[in-house]
Amino acid sequence: MLWLISTARQECPAPAAGRLWCRPNGSGAAGNNRRIRMGRLAAHVAAAILTTITLWGAQEAKPGTPVSSSDQTKAAEPAKPAGPEKPAEYVGSQTCQACHEDIYNAFQKSPHSVVETDKKRGFENNGCESCHGPGSKHADSTDATQIRQPAKLKPSAADAICLTCHRNTTTQAGRINSSHARNQVACVSCHFVHRNNGNDLVARKPAAINQQCAACHLDIWASFQKPFKHRLPEGAMSCTDCHNPHGSAMVHMYQTTRATEPGCAKCHGEKVGPFPYEHAPVRLEGCGACHEPHGSANPRMLTRPQVSQLCQECHANLPTPTPAAGSTLGTVGPAFHDLRSPRFQNCTLCHQKVHGSYVDRAFLK
Amino acid sequence: MRLLLALMIPVFAFGQEAATQTKPDEKAPAKTEQAAAAENPAPAASDALVLTGSFDFGYRWVGDVRGSAQQYRSVVNLGEGPKLTGLDFTLVDPKHRLFDRIDARGDGWGGDPYSTAHLEAIKRRIYDLRVDYRNIAYFNAIPSFANPFAPGGFDERSFDIRRRNGYVDLELFPGGHILPYLVFERNSSYGHGVATWVQDNNDEFAVPTLLRDSTNNYRGGVRIEYNRYHVTLEQGGTTFKEDDQAGFNGTNYGDRTAPFLGSTLVLKNLQQAYGIRGTSLYTKIMATASPLSRVDLYGQFLWSEPKTNANYFDIANGNFGLISSLLLYSGQFNIGASAANQPHVVGNAGMEVRPFRNLRIVQSWMTDREHTTGFGALTEQILLTPTATGQSLANALNTLQVVNYNRYQVEAIWDVFSKLTLRGGWRREFGDATVRAGVFDQSGLLASRDLKRDVGLAGITARPFKKLSMNVDYEGASTSTDYFRTSLYNYHRVRARARYQALASLGIQANFAYLTNENPSPDIRYNLDSRASSLSLYWTPEGGKRVSLMAEYSRTTFDSNINYLAFPFYMPSVSLYRENGHTATSMLDVNLPKVGGMEPKLTAGGSLFVSDGTRATSYYQPVGKLSLPLQKHVQWNTEWRWYGFGETAYLYEGFRAHLFMTGLRLIK
Repeated sequence: MLWLISTARQECPAPAAGRLWCRPNGSGAAGNNRRIRMGRLAAHVAAAILTTITLWGAQEAKPGTPVSSSDQTKAAEPAKPAGPEKPAEYVGSQTCQACHEDIYNAFQKSPHSVVETDKKRGFENNGCESCHGPGSKHADSTDATQIRQPAKLKPSAADAICLTCHRNTTTQAGRINSSHARNQVACVSCHFVHRNNGNDLVARKPAAINQQCAACHLDIWASFQKPFKHRLPEGAMSCTDCHNPHGSAMVHMYQTTRATEPGCAKCHGEKVGPFPYEHAPVRLEGCGACHEPHGSANPRMLTRPQVSQLCQECHANLPTPTPAAGSTLGTVGPAFHDLRSPRFQNCTLCHQKVHGSYVDRAFLK
Repeated sequence: MRLLLALMIPVFAFGQEAATQTKPDEKAPAKTEQAAAAENPAPAASDALVLTGSFDFGYRWVGDVRGSAQQYRSVVNLGEGPKLTGLDFTLVDPKHRLFDRIDARGDGWGGDPYSTAHLEAIKRRIYDLRVDYRNIAYFNAIPSFANPFAPGGFDERSFDIRRRNGYVDLELFPGGHILPYLVFERNSSYGHGVATWVQDNNDEFAVPTLLRDSTNNYRGGVRIEYNRYHVTLEQGGTTFKEDDQAGFNGTNYGDRTAPFLGSTLVLKNLQQAYGIRGTSLYTKIMATASPLSRVDLYGQFLWSEPKTNANYFDIANGNFGLISSLLLYSGQFNIGASAANQPHVVGNAGMEVRPFRNLRIVQSWMTDREHTTGFGALTEQILLTPTATGQSLANALNTLQVVNYNRYQVEAIWDVFSKLTLRGGWRREFGDATVRAGVFDQSGLLASRDLKRDVGLAGITARPFKKLSMNVDYEGASTSTDYFRTSLYNYHRVRARARYQALASLGIQANFAYLTNENPSPDIRYNLDSRASSLSLYWTPEGGKRVSLMAEYSRTTFDSNINYLAFPFYMPSVSLYRENGHTATSMLDVNLPKVGGMEPKLTAGGSLFVSDGTRATSYYQPVGKLSLPLQKHVQWNTEWRWYGFGETAYLYEGFRAHLFMTGLRLIK
């Protein structure tokens, strides 16, 4: 929150006219004092509100309360009827088995059955109720409304149940960066809790993974029907080879490899370097600066049909010893590149080490 | 092939054993039920290994490929011959001796361009072993990609390689709290191609090349997972080598058609070799914690320091020209050496605070810092005649590239009520980069740029009633300085999605994605407008018992304008790129009436992509399949595919091909 306040003070001297967001180097300083004050005020108010509710929340929370009894979990429980009614109690999975034998048997063979036997997880012999909550009332009445049904909860409440155990795991280390979590895509959208095959709690085969992702990402899957694409429709690769659906430290939920490299390097190790002569966009913008990895009508999955067009859109600044303020990186090539000749229409014909070179600063070798 | 044998041997070995001790089911299990059957063996076979799975093999004929065979291989690349199209089995040990279960699968063996194999063995609480191997062929020889008027008439940037990726991942004590793991990964490529040997910016000669590189990645660590916190500690390292070579003997006039100083340039002989070696050490630390019931903390620290060193050598003979000296000479040899070092640190920390039951506040901070330093030296010795040396050109350069990227984000997620969630937030991205300036001298000037961007975030998730869910995700940014002309600058990105379950058997989904990006700088004037609208329909009457249909359609438009300087006179011009595409995919499954007790299944569908614009393209992939159960464990499959590809601007790259395949599926 302090960051927000300090940012408001230092970084937003003059929001440009007509802009929602401040532009620190904007040119519309004159006559904008009122906007400056309003912007600062808005930032202060927002920061104050966030700080207040954060502190309030911290006071409300009970330090040391086990995670399994957090309000998140409570929120997922069924609404309690009015009146001093005795709360539901745990009855054990054996009780559930009497009516739900198929599900019970399947559960015993799934990885989730560990909660049934692991004392440290706090649900020994109560595996079913670890997600469905105490089931005594449901067992007495057989009323479906007397038991928590995660599939019918709002995504955040359903996720809270899963996260009771899975919050502090490796897979969730990037959770808050995940657009799935931010867009309320619940865990159970992809994971199946009651499947009786231990490995099928989630799709494992590339074709099945792709089918699952494509069910929501229609436009992305459509890109894979273009002629130049990675081999996903053929089942040789899956979406999760490149993206981590749980989130990662990288943008676009990229998988990482070798700790700091985007997942592209898992297969294209020779494009990584480090090179003595780096091509800056590879590192600054990533592969997506020139390639459309989901599929393209252009050869080599390029974002433009002609290589010269792709290169020249960036290499269009006249060379100066010191680039002017406000200009961008990327200097125009020498004039002997006569694009009227076909031999110059594909820059990578000569500048073939365009991902970076070990030998030549012009990427010729 | 060895891997294939390794996969097949256990199939038959265990298959025989299981066959003698298990009672076959009365009805052939559906594919989705096979694993269930594996988990529930017949009572009489409680101690025996239980094998279930399927084995698909057959023969594929590729009809006469009409049009560009090179393009067919670049796009489709499916070949003719006997194929093992699929292998999928599960082996369960009810007595849990060495393993609880083994799952193995393989696809596309027998010369197909993408062959995969995967094996997973689990013994609960003891180990989880995963082995994966993929062999993917990359063939690319597209005439229009390189110089279509090259004397050889072929693609001067083509290649025919196979890239092999694999890993072995062993995790111990799965399901426990302390989980050590070891992983070995390898990716390599080997093949041939065509590249150009560039002589003094004056002429380029296409020559055959041998391409080979490999990367080995070793890593190990431990995951410590408890209810209130988790820590993952990993240490790893890589080794890399690349030994590309090029060689040529003959007469090669290169791409230059005009004489130089009245003389025709020609390459007679070339030997070129790269020797590149790399190593890297890296560390990965990830942690999560829940110190309070309403607070979660996340953090990642990633560090790596890859290093490379390279040796380069080439020697060439012929008749060459040196522009800088207006000199003709008969040979040259180059010797180069270089080294690079790239310490790279990524830090990511965040917290989720839940002050109220319905409100979550998520903050995250990230920094990515990468400093590359390098040194390269290259000496070029001119040979005026085979025995007389001419001038020697030498250059050496220390290089530097520094990239610092930072991101701070705060976002509030509010469950207004159970059917509506609102999200709003703000992100600041800032950083700086110092790179080698793109001037023409050899002094190695550096150029620096900053990145400053403020991004507004918003989102809505609504479930107005049980059958309908909607989601809108918005991101809009204002940028004051950025690195490149085509970078995201002032942009708006919207993704909307709605799903409606009209009937139990009918689901409809609609997606809309929109991106507009604008850089108003006078010499740039970049405008990008991209839209994608998609509609899908899934219809499974009676649970798909007789008929099921999947249909998807996407309409995409892409429109980009940007100012640039056109060669050779640096004339201000506008680069235009348009693509208006239609993509459709459908698949209809029909269970035909029983004939002689057998119930054939017919599948028809495929996909098409048709676009107009800068590179108007059509690509059709219809497919039809017929599956006929011959016995309860044997199924006869036939498949027909057709590929049709065409480009308005490059008619010579079109192709059409029929593929017909027939084979058997053995099911156990």
